[in-house]
Amino acid sequence: MNDASQLEVPLGDKVLDRDTSGSAQREGGSDRLFQYGVIAFLIILMMMMIVPFWNVVAVAFSGPIASMTRGIILWPREFSAEGFRIVWVNLNLQQAFINSVIVTTVGTVLHVALSCFAAYVLIQRNLPGKTIMLVFILATMAIPGELIMIPLYIVNKQLGLLNTLWALIFSGMISGFSILLLRNFFAGVPYDLAESAKIDGASDFRIFRSIYLPLSQAGIATIALFELVSRWNQFLPVILYINDSSKYTLQVALNALVTENLGTSGTSMVTPNVRMAGIVIAILPLVILYPFMQKYFVKGITLGSVKE
Amino acid sequence: MLRHTTRTMRSHAWLYVMILPVIAYFLIFVYYPLYQGAASSFQEFKLLGTAEWIGTENYLEVWKDGTFWQVVKNTLLIGGGILVFGFFPPIMVALALNEAATLLFKKLAQTTVYLPHLFSWVVIGGMWIFLLSPGGGLVNELLALINVGPVRFLTNTTWARATMIGLPIWKDMGYAAIIYLASITSINPSLYEAARIDGASRFQQMYQITLPLLKPTMKVVFMLNILGLLRIFDQIFVMRNPVVQGGIDVIMTYVYDMGIQRYELGFASAISVMVLLTTLLLTAIVWRVTRFGRDD
Repeated sequence: MNDASQLEVPLGDKVLDRDTSGSAQREGGSDRLFQYGVIAFLIILMMMMIVPFWNVVAVAFSGPIASMTRGIILWPREFSAEGFRIVWVNLNLQQAFINSVIVTTVGTVLHVALSCFAAYVLIQRNLPGKTIMLVFILATMAIPGELIMIPLYIVNKQLGLLNTLWALIFSGMISGFSILLLRNFFAGVPYDLAESAKIDGASDFRIFRSIYLPLSQAGIATIALFELVSRWNQFLPVILYINDSSKYTLQVALNALVTENLGTSGTSMVTPNVRMAGIVIAILPLVILYPFMQKYFVKGITLGSVKE
Repeated sequence: MLRHTTRTMRSHAWLYVMILPVIAYFLIFVYYPLYQGAASSFQEFKLLGTAEWIGTENYLEVWKDGTFWQVVKNTLLIGGGILVFGFFPPIMVALALNEAATLLFKKLAQTTVYLPHLFSWVVIGGMWIFLLSPGGGLVNELLALINVGPVRFLTNTTWARATMIGLPIWKDMGYAAIIYLASITSINPSLYEAARIDGASRFQQMYQITLPLLKPTMKVVFMLNILGLLRIFDQIFVMRNPVVQGGIDVIMTYVYDMGIQRYELGFASAISVMVLLTTLLLTAIVWRVTRFGRDD
């Protein structure tokens, strides 16, 4: 089971073979003990991550009264999907869900398209003004959005965007980080390829569309997925710009539902199975996408070094 | 020369059209707000009518405001706690993942540990409010098994602060671990080969080769985490309640409350400007330190 000669550490494109065959014979007792320690540590760690979510799902599928009873719930009690029906229909989480889907889709498409455009322009050689534009874009990375929330609120008010989904779509529509990441990918495309296409009479836009985009699919997928997740989880902009509850996105509608503090109020009209059903609905799209996203996440995190 | 430049620009007109939206966006949603924020901090806003210039009055008010200093203290306590106690867990996770016996197990563990980072603070906060509740929440039910509790995690200031430190560590551990893991894979394999020939055990290899070589990465991660400290918002906003609010509200939640809820836009802007200047100063320091880290 713990044959050390099988040990491989793959990450991104690198595969590092750490143990050569033959060392297994030399593996001492202390190494075996160490290996067991590692396995135990990782299993405890995984349980710390999984059990809370497991509990949430079990409660979500419990009956309303059963979900309020004390005790450790790791399997649905009086199995029922009632919580989902109440949160979706009666509490109208579906409207918020639809708003979230709209903002996430439109926002992500615009983010990716505009980032690709900018990244392509920024890899051109001998383009007048390129350095200035690059500095102009990179400087924005030093300013975190949270810190300018008040002026952003004022600006959105001046533009008449308050209480519109456009305010949410514009929020974070472009980031210096994505442009930089894509620029690195585009820089990996052989420049000679573009040069020779140019000699053949292809326009800048044509070169962009038929050479750069197809050759940088991994990079585009990476920023698209990162953007998708952060869009879906977008919270501060919604509580800044939106007052009208019919424009609430899922996160904000859910916030009103799940954060009513059980420690202080004690009594609540909304039973735990309903709240937890809301949480399950909010994480479901990400959980479904997660297996497909994983390899791009590792790539994105390592490429972008340590910028979130 | 100038004519040549103009001609080059004209022949690439499409390129300028392509980057125009990005430039316009940053002007409207980053650079103009910066100016607007600086201006507002010297103004007083009325619900109706225009803002009035009042000089440095907002800054003086902030300086004299007891709540402001309280939220600064809370930010340093909670942010500092995350910084200190959150430093080693990701390194341990990365080292353990690196030593995992099989590829499948490693992938499974990595996927699982990263999972909470994927979700919003509304989801994580809402879930933990439920799990930590004294009336039947999972954590207190587990503590009851060993005759402890119930602990009032979110209605006792000390416990609430501890929770605000513990949860982000739990949530983001897997994310930071991936950064460390990437840097472990770039370590030269021949170092381990040599250590093995010298008879070093796996633990010794980890402790004496991997760990020291991670130092530059640790420095970078630590420095960047310092920058995140002042930005804490979502987790507090989602998990606070009137009982402990005074003890866990941070600078950014205070800015939101004053600016958006109470419409003291000038006052809130003055705080934002101060935080922003501090962040820029810290960024400059971080740049210097991490640059030096890479040189040696």
